[in-house]
Amino acid sequence: MVREVSESCVDSLLTEMVACYCNRFYANKPELAARRIEAIGYQVGHQLSERYTMERPRFTDHLEAIKFICKDFWSELFKKQIDNLKTNHRGTFVLQDNKFRWLARMSIDPSTDNVSPLEDITSPTAESKAAQAMSMHLYFPCGIIRGALSNLGIPCAVSADISNLPACSFVVRIKA
Amino acid sequence: MQFFGVSEISPSPPAPTASGNNGHMMYVFNRNGVCLLYREWNRPLRTLDAQQDHKLMFGLLFSLKSLTAKMDPTSAVEKGNLGMLQLPGQGCSFHSFCTNTYKLSFMESPSGIKIILVTHPRTGDLRESLKYIYNLYVEYVVKNPLYTPGSPIRCELFNTTLDQYVRGIA
Repeated sequence: MVREVSESCVDSLLTEMVACYCNRFYANKPELAARRIEAIGYQVGHQLSERYTMERPRFTDHLEAIKFICKDFWSELFKKQIDNLKTNHRGTFVLQDNKFRWLARMSIDPSTDNVSPLEDITSPTAESKAAQAMSMHLYFPCGIIRGALSNLGIPCAVSADISNLPACSFVVRIKA
Repeated sequence: MQFFGVSEISPSPPAPTASGNNGHMMYVFNRNGVCLLYREWNRPLRTLDAQQDHKLMFGLLFSLKSLTAKMDPTSAVEKGNLGMLQLPGQGCSFHSFCTNTYKLSFMESPSGIKIILVTHPRTGDLRESLKYIYNLYVEYVVKNPLYTPGSPIRCELFNTTLDQYVRGIA
């Protein structure tokens, strides 16, 4: 029997985890908070890839492992596959999810009343605060991808781009 | 519950159109009476400033809830004094009232979130619509990681989805 957990429960847990690390544990150290969140993601990805590759033969090359992440792994996590995969054939892969579940409900009001009276909407502080809050939620999935690939013998660095929400692109750079 | 005004002074608005656009305004209050959201689609005449308007609306709801519970002929439970605080779901509660110029529909969630939708007087029963709006609130506000509970709602996704839905109410 498949073990299941409520999606809302996982969503709330993720939100609360990010909030705790950013606003409580490391309120004045966003870089440290980001590292911690990514490290948790790494552990989760590491364990999940172990579980989801149990019945599989070993991957022969990087592309095969990345395809596994895009199809089977992503389907287990988000009930859908990665929508688009690009590569430069030199160790960089871009995985694009056109409607990333963990960003689907994330929104802020671009109107001026979202900003305190002393803060101009065009100022970098207002923009960057919102961007930073959003990016904090991406360290966890980046960590998951890095952990999964690391467990498959592929050391890499993973970053995310959210220039057009709710789409999200994960850039995987494999270390030589 | 229906209140009827004198038609010469305040004539009824034209019948609702099939295309919708019957929503006038909407309020969302939390259990502490804080107005989390005020949305307006059709309100040509404004006589109060925003804060007074919100206070008046919350006061009206508080009084009506208390009154309807006190008047309930079916309940044998000791009702206490008029104006006593009613817990969400306690006693009977009204879901709408209608005047000759507008209809006010109301719903309260178990957590004390109050949704008030003011529409054209000939709009039908909106209880299901309010449930759907509450569902939108849960999906796009409560589950939005950037939203701080208890603060005014400033979620673009929620606003656009809400506008789209309310414009479709016939």
